[in-house]
Amino acid sequence: MAKKRVMFSPVTRLEGLLSVEVTLDGDRVVNANASSTTFRGFEWIMRDRHVTDAVYMTQRICGICSTAHGAVASYLLDELYDNTLSENAQLMRNIMYASDIIQNHIRHFYLFGLPDYVRMPQRPPFHGQNLSDARLNPKDDQRLLENYFEAIKVSQKSHEILALFGGKAPHQHSFVHGGVSVAPTADKINRALALAKTVREFVKGKLVPDTELIARAYSDYYQIGVTEGQFLSFGLFRFGPKNERLLLKNGVQKGNRLIPLDIGLINEDITNSWFSTAFEQGSKGKELIPNPYKPGAYTWSKSVTYGGQHYEVGPLARMIINGKHRGGASTMDRIYARTLETVHFTQLMEDWLKRLKPGPAPIEQKKTPVKNKVVATTDAMRGALLHSAWIEDEQVVRYNIITPSVWNFSPKDEYGRLGPTEGALVGTVVPRQEMLFNVLGRIIRSFDPCLQCATHVLDMRGNVKKERLI
Amino acid sequence: MDKEKFNELCHDLAPRSDHTLTEAILKEVSSFQAGEQNKRLPVIWIETSDSGDNNIAFLNSTYPYAGQVFTDMIDLLYCNSFMTAQGKHALNILEQAAVMLKGQFTLVVEGAIPLKDNGLYNIIIRTENRNITALEAVNWLGNLAKYVVAMGTCASFGGVSSAKPNITGSVAVRQVLNREIINVSGCPVNPDWFVGTLAHLLMYGRPELDELGRPTLFYGYTVHRHCQRRSYFDKGDFAENLGDIECMFSQGCMGPRTGADCPYRQWINYVNWPVRANTPCIGCTNEDFPDGSTPFFTPISEKGSNKDKETNKWRKRE
Repeated sequence: MAKKRVMFSPVTRLEGLLSVEVTLDGDRVVNANASSTTFRGFEWIMRDRHVTDAVYMTQRICGICSTAHGAVASYLLDELYDNTLSENAQLMRNIMYASDIIQNHIRHFYLFGLPDYVRMPQRPPFHGQNLSDARLNPKDDQRLLENYFEAIKVSQKSHEILALFGGKAPHQHSFVHGGVSVAPTADKINRALALAKTVREFVKGKLVPDTELIARAYSDYYQIGVTEGQFLSFGLFRFGPKNERLLLKNGVQKGNRLIPLDIGLINEDITNSWFSTAFEQGSKGKELIPNPYKPGAYTWSKSVTYGGQHYEVGPLARMIINGKHRGGASTMDRIYARTLETVHFTQLMEDWLKRLKPGPAPIEQKKTPVKNKVVATTDAMRGALLHSAWIEDEQVVRYNIITPSVWNFSPKDEYGRLGPTEGALVGTVVPRQEMLFNVLGRIIRSFDPCLQCATHVLDMRGNVKKERLI
Repeated sequence: MDKEKFNELCHDLAPRSDHTLTEAILKEVSSFQAGEQNKRLPVIWIETSDSGDNNIAFLNSTYPYAGQVFTDMIDLLYCNSFMTAQGKHALNILEQAAVMLKGQFTLVVEGAIPLKDNGLYNIIIRTENRNITALEAVNWLGNLAKYVVAMGTCASFGGVSSAKPNITGSVAVRQVLNREIINVSGCPVNPDWFVGTLAHLLMYGRPELDELGRPTLFYGYTVHRHCQRRSYFDKGDFAENLGDIECMFSQGCMGPRTGADCPYRQWINYVNWPVRANTPCIGCTNEDFPDGSTPFFTPISEKGSNKDKETNKWRKRE
């Protein structure tokens, strides 16, 4: 049978713009090209700005994971200025960070993921669903639809915790270098605890059973959309006066082995990305330049590898690396791990709120940089996030960002090896033609794609080898 | 149908033992329900070059919550973030809605529009044969829409997507379309400003706009005018650091030349806003955001775009 190419575009219900072209050989996907189709050039935007602008500027990379960019930029500045963080500052930072992650996970499951599995009413914005293998009974469909609307309210509550301490959301203001600019007071702590309880009750009472119901009804998705099972995490929730302690550990998981992380092994490749290299006049060496006409290229995302191999990042990677999930690397494992993590983080957030001590705003910003090059990492909602900066006289010379979706949505590298999402799609069998978008959509969305983020990766040399990181 | 005629109909058809009366009435009832009583604003919402923060901000709306907006206020016909349909089915819906509701729908554009290289820096939909760029989509839909709403500062004025050196040549919607644009700026937009603008369009038509095309209802006064810390400013009592309780002017606050109602509206169920969080307003609703606001923590007179300008100009604008 002749091979057939099908464009899946737009892939809706995600952050940003994504198109995926698949090649079908009969009922089997034999190739997949995931195209991130927005480019904003954030690394250029960051140049020649005061480096302390990084927290507010880089949050504007992404609206659904803004606190992650604010956090990693704050860690970067803490190291650059040698700030010392108090216990209260770290607790408040992590409360805000957790509230944003929980917000993301609830919205992802209900607003983006749910219509892949549940019959939605035939009215806007749910019209044209074409769910060809709906498996829940009408009563469950109705109940989960009601939870969709409740999820909108509850995710707002989670963002209310962020705003209570952070000024607003997205793009909070108080989690900056040197600590947090808002005073933890009894009224705020109490209000946040009440909000956190509402969120926890929803997560335990609705999100968990709803995830279990979908996982049972669609249990074949434990065998569909499987990656190679190689996971990477930069760790999450920093504590200690110098951000030195990670609550969720970092590392690289290959099979049963957990290997310590060495960020010098990260490499980026532009073979199939819309970038070329050139010597630009007046620039500091060879530069990447965007080239939307590059023959054969198909995405603004670069291909990122660790030790020459592609790695899956995200909640599943974190839960496996931290020994909280034992299972595979499938569509349903990813969905299940995200819910598992949400439960875990709602509990952590409440514990941290109870440990906060009322007092003044826990912030002390030093004014003179002690370094001029620094790399900072964290895990964001969707996985490993890295910022690096090279400054001169507090002005940014180069700022580099590697976001989670670049790991998961890596295009094929120079050796033709597949990134996690493309790899998860290839080999998939689509039993009936009319199920094609349903099956592809479920696999793709289980990675919680955020292509706004994926569009911003760029460093001037096309790699992040340690000595040339910044 | 008026009351008299309705009574007459009931009187005439009541003696029949079949369903003629029900049929006749049901038709009237349905048309009544579909009419003025349940009028919703048809909306086509396209995301272009931005961070997605505006659709997340929208989800933080309270009373109405975003779910109520979907159910009671708007018919969200196309929206990359929230629509259930996907792939070609979504594209078909967009094409049909644009034709069938020509001159009736409201176009929401979320993001800036790259012009360089024929707009290839932002492709909203691809088919097997071609790319539909944000530039093409805005031109196409913008000329069919009844109203065009630019959501957020990227769509309104270019914003962060067009920040220097703007290597993608990104511009605001108003630089692409030669028609009135309702600019609902903010980075992100406050959900009240956006939902409030849609409510105005639905219930009262076009809102009054300022010289930048923004609803005066939300942007008519400066942040400075309504700031809770105005008394500190008037006394010259300025914060020395972030985290202090005094006036944030010294920390780079843009309140004096930023039109927005943040001090009294506040954010996320009205619990807080940047100055109350002991940080400066960074002027995110402004035409020159972010370049006119950076360095963020430097007083207005020393900021990048103001260095050459007459200092203290903000006093006159207030």
